[in-house]
Amino acid sequence: MAPIRKLLIANRGEIALRIQRTCREMGIETVAVYSSADREALHVRFASESYLLGDPAPADSYLRGDRIIEIAQQCGADAIHPGFGFLAENPEFVAAVAAAGLVFVGPPAGAMAIMGDKLASRQAMVAAGVPVVPGSTEAAADAATAQAAAEGIGYPVMLKASAGGGGKGIRVVREAAEMDGAFTTASGEAQRAFGDGRMYLEKFLEQPRHIEVQVLGDRHGNLIALGERECSIQRRHQKLIEEAPAVGIPADTRERMYAAAVDAARAVDYFSAGTVEFLYVDGEFYFLEMNTRLQVEHPVTEEVFAVDLVEQMIRVAGGEELRLAAGMQPRGHSIEVRLNAEDPQKDFMPSLGTIHNLRLPGGPGVRVDSAVYQGMEVTPYYDSMLAKLIVHGSNREQARRRMMRVLKELHVGGVATSAGLALTVLQTEAFREGRYDTGFLERFQKNGETPARDVPDDLEEIAMLVAAMHRTHRGVVRVERSDAGDGLAPWVQVHRRNLLGGRTSR
Amino acid sequence: MKYFLRSSSGRRLEVEVEHDPPSTFRLRVDGRNLRADLVDVDRQGQYAACLDDRSFAAAIEQRDDQHLLVTLGGECFVIQATDEREQAAGALASTRPRAETVKASMPGIVVRVSVTAGEAVSAGQPLLVLEAMKMQNEVCAEHVGVVSTVEVSPGQAVAAGEIMLRLDPPAASRPAAPD
Repeated sequence: MAPIRKLLIANRGEIALRIQRTCREMGIETVAVYSSADREALHVRFASESYLLGDPAPADSYLRGDRIIEIAQQCGADAIHPGFGFLAENPEFVAAVAAAGLVFVGPPAGAMAIMGDKLASRQAMVAAGVPVVPGSTEAAADAATAQAAAEGIGYPVMLKASAGGGGKGIRVVREAAEMDGAFTTASGEAQRAFGDGRMYLEKFLEQPRHIEVQVLGDRHGNLIALGERECSIQRRHQKLIEEAPAVGIPADTRERMYAAAVDAARAVDYFSAGTVEFLYVDGEFYFLEMNTRLQVEHPVTEEVFAVDLVEQMIRVAGGEELRLAAGMQPRGHSIEVRLNAEDPQKDFMPSLGTIHNLRLPGGPGVRVDSAVYQGMEVTPYYDSMLAKLIVHGSNREQARRRMMRVLKELHVGGVATSAGLALTVLQTEAFREGRYDTGFLERFQKNGETPARDVPDDLEEIAMLVAAMHRTHRGVVRVERSDAGDGLAPWVQVHRRNLLGGRTSR
Repeated sequence: MKYFLRSSSGRRLEVEVEHDPPSTFRLRVDGRNLRADLVDVDRQGQYAACLDDRSFAAAIEQRDDQHLLVTLGGECFVIQATDEREQAAGALASTRPRAETVKASMPGIVVRVSVTAGEAVSAGQPLLVLEAMKMQNEVCAEHVGVVSTVEVSPGQAVAAGEIMLRLDPPAASRPAAPD
């Protein structure tokens, strides 16, 4: 196989930009695709070439696999990276890419098909000797069937979409009486999100931790585990804060998890990057699912292993052999906070608007994977994640304090975000000591407790006085500048145009 | 000018503000005098604030005439600042029960309407389900009341700010009709 020279990225937002950045470093040309809502987006502006897909709705744009393949062929791209979401875990798309004579930067379609089917993957894992959560082996198409299955497993149970992922179509059912309502809502959500309303059941484990193992393999049979990530700070089953490595897992258990993750991947002839998710309760772990794609929280693994996972995916897709050895040790500690346009005060309701008054953090050990810019419209068509804030520290406490500092430097105007909640969580005793599980955030919000915060006692009073001054004289005084606009010095603007404006004349 | 300040946590403060243009202020609060300085940095909402010798990077967003969102060091405060005249007018208005209109806070699709016209609802009761960004969100009543009209139906797309439902105050608290 030949190395990849020109890559089409079939995605948008921060992940499209993140993949482009690696391509740029590798000297690979990038092709962006976009919906009419994303004409101004950074992933379009930063690409070497860009092509319009269609109207804003995903079904008319980022899910148009046929159109994406056609564009790749016409512009002479030799490969497609799907990012995450949209077409990333669609085995028919993977097969169509191959049939068109293009390289798919990701795992083989067969592995994706098995792992994408929650029931088939459970069966494959049992056969491979990987521990799974007790539950049903047949899909339920209606509430009555689900109810019968639940009786056998014993309440409480988790109701999950057979075709699910990303926290959609999941409900906890604590007793038989709740089944009807829960099934209708969850199945409806699954039908809209995945086009498949069938559900299956798992025993609901009380207060588990969500620990996942990063795996990486090539087309030559090399397959390694690249450490684990702790992702238990979740709301509505969607992750908010992730870290690597996980706290307080005995070394031998950790090794067994790595081995189980590699076994899971090998059982489906996996290559490329993938994530094996486990629930961890009382020192035991159970296979939850395998995500056959690059994961949102992959940067924390990159930080502690000094590995660029996108680069590895591209090399492996081009046929190269993996040069990373098994048993690599993580260095220091990394934490990621997802910055979502949503209001934690209003049950995480998406918050739409125009981004303004934006101030991004910086400094030592800080990485911002973002596609946010001043004037950006946050629309209802896509996921609410705006950016990811990632820190690396020599130990967990330094990383935690660093992330607190980062969240205090950050400011996003125009929409509500999850940043304030993340800052609060980082200051709780439970987070500080690394004692938390997947139910932590819900319990924390329900109890309404406020941790001892690292802020001056009179900060609220100062905010009130600032408000009074602002009201007194709305105009206050403005610093006059020659470059009023986006606040960059003229030479920076020119340099940025040269650097990022696609093909340059030099 | 004297301001009555109230934060979202319920804290209250009265402050006398004297402005020395361009950017200097003298504040009198709880019998203390403070020197202050507030400079608009970028016309985007970033401010450089000083109170006595303490320095702050502030971000200010105007919500409406009285409400401001002030962010200091990652902590966000919603502050209501009313002057004396507004304070007097507000005290009068809040004694009257008010009708409530339920508006869409974002564009979305109505998935389900859980109430019908004439139905009594309690504060926090789910009224309808709105889907946006692939997530379903329950819209709940803020106050106790009676549904007067339902303006939307399931499957309907709504724009931000569109009225979806109207609530009247509960019958008992309605002012008696004049004879």
